[in-house]
Amino acid sequence: MKPETERTIRDVVRAVGLWHIWGRLGWQDVRLKFRRSAVGVGWIFVNLAVLVASIGFIYANLLGQDTRQFIPYLTIGMILWGYLTSSTVDGGNAFVHSEGYIKQISLPIYVYILRFFVSISVTTLIAMLAYVIVAIVYAVPFRAGTLFVLPGLVMVMTASLLLVTIFAHLNARFRDIAHLASVGMQVLFYVTPVIFPAELLRPRADLSFVVNLNPMFHLLEVVRRPLLGGVAAEGASYAAAGAILVVLAAVAAVVIATNQRRIVYSL
Amino acid sequence: MPHIELDHVDLEFRVGAERHTTLQTALWRGLRRHRAEARTVRALKDLSLTIKSGERVGLIGHNGAGKSTLLKTMAGIYPPQRGRVSIEGHVCPLFEFVTGFEMEATGWENIRTRALLLGMSPKEIDKKIDGIAAFSNLGEFLDIPVRHYSTGMFVRLAFATSTAVDPQILLLDEVMAAGDAAFIESARQRMNELMLRASIVVFASHSLDVLPSFCDRTIVLKEGRIVADGPTADVVRTYVQDSRLS
Repeated sequence: MKPETERTIRDVVRAVGLWHIWGRLGWQDVRLKFRRSAVGVGWIFVNLAVLVASIGFIYANLLGQDTRQFIPYLTIGMILWGYLTSSTVDGGNAFVHSEGYIKQISLPIYVYILRFFVSISVTTLIAMLAYVIVAIVYAVPFRAGTLFVLPGLVMVMTASLLLVTIFAHLNARFRDIAHLASVGMQVLFYVTPVIFPAELLRPRADLSFVVNLNPMFHLLEVVRRPLLGGVAAEGASYAAAGAILVVLAAVAAVVIATNQRRIVYSL
Repeated sequence: MPHIELDHVDLEFRVGAERHTTLQTALWRGLRRHRAEARTVRALKDLSLTIKSGERVGLIGHNGAGKSTLLKTMAGIYPPQRGRVSIEGHVCPLFEFVTGFEMEATGWENIRTRALLLGMSPKEIDKKIDGIAAFSNLGEFLDIPVRHYSTGMFVRLAFATSTAVDPQILLLDEVMAAGDAAFIESARQRMNELMLRASIVVFASHSLDVLPSFCDRTIVLKEGRIVADGPTADVVRTYVQDSRLS
C-alpha cells in the first residue's frame, strides 16, 4: 500500500473515532438552525404539511388516487427525497461551511463530512415523526414486515453519507458542482415516482423503464414499501440499492484519493 | 516522545488556478490535454528541520516569510506537495482568536465546542469549564449568543478556552491578546503557564524582546527558507543587525 493511501485510511478511521466531536457539531447545527425562530423545529413539519397538503390534494384527484393511500406515500417520498437532495446539493458545502475550523484546527477533514451528515440525518429523522403521525391518521397498518424499514433506512443513510462525501470534495474544488447537482436532482424528481405512484407507469411497456431502471426509485422503495405495505421491498429493489451503494462507495474512494490533499487549498 | 520533523518540504499555493478553478476551465484543460500554467506561490522551499521534546522554538521573519504556513504545516493543516512531515504527539494550534465561533450559540456552548475541537475530552471539559468561565471574566454574557459579543469579548472567550488545554505540542501564532490592560497582564501569565505545560512549543512572533525569555532556540525564515537557526540570543542579535543594515 502506498504511504499516501495508508495516511488517508488512517485519517478516515481517526475521523470516525472522533464521534463526540462531529456528533456534537452536527447536533448543534440542527439546534442552532431553529433557535431564533418562534416555531423552531416545527418548521420541518410545517414545510412538509404544506407540501403534502397541496401536492396531495391536486395529484390525488388528477391521478385518481385514494388519498388514504396516496398521502402517506407522498409524505414518506418527500421526506426521503428531501434527505437525498440535502446530501447532494447542500452536502457540496460541507467543507466550504467548515472552512473556519479546517484552516485553524488540525483534525482530519472527514470530521466535517460526518458533522454535516449528522445534521441532515437528525433533521430527516425528526421529519419521519411527521410520517408516523400521517400513518396513524390514515390507519396505515403496522405489521411485523414493517420492520423491514430498518435495513432500508440503513441503506438510504449509507447512500446519503457517500453522496455527502463525494459532493463535498467535488464542490470544494469546483463550485459549479452544487448548482449542477441541484439541476440534476430536479430532473430526477420529475422522473422518479415521488409525487405519482409507480404503479401508474409500471404496467405500461413504453414507460415502465422509467421506474424499473431508475436507481432513485429502488432507493426509495427499500424504505417506502415496508412502511406502506408492511412487507419487504422487491428483491430487485434491494439488488439495485446494493448496487448503488457499491458504485457510490467506489466513486467516493476515488474522489477522496484524488482530492484529499487539495481540499484545504481550495477553500 | 513528542517530536516534529520536516524533511525537504516544499509547499506551494496555486493562486488563480486552484482557487478559482471552475468546471469550465477544468474541462478545457482536460480537452486541450495540457495544463494551463498555474500561478504558484512557493511558501516553503526545501525546508528541513527537527524539533525534539523539551524544545521551545521561536520563529521570526518578515511578513510573508512563511511563518504561518510553516506552523500550519506542522499542525498537519496544509499537506505539502513534496517532502515529508512527521509529527508525534498531540498538536494544539493556537493561530487566531476571532474565527471558529458558532454565532447563534451561547458563550458556554462555544467554550465546549472549541475545547472539543482542541482535543479536550468531554470529561475534562466538565472539570475545567468553570475555570475557563472565570478566567474569561464574561460572567452573565456567557448565557447569551456570541453574536452579541464585541471583538474583545471573543478574544477573552477563545483565549480562556484555548489556553486550558494540556498540549504536547503547542503551536502559537502571534497571539498576544487584545483586550484591556488588566486582561493582557493575566493573559501573559496564563500563556506562560501553558507554554510550561507543553513539551514542545513553536512560537511565531514579531516581538523580539519577548522571545529570549520564552525560547532557547530561534529560527529565522526568509522567503520560505530557513536562513538562521540557533540559540535565541545569537540569532536575534544577528537578525536585528541585518534588519538595520537593509
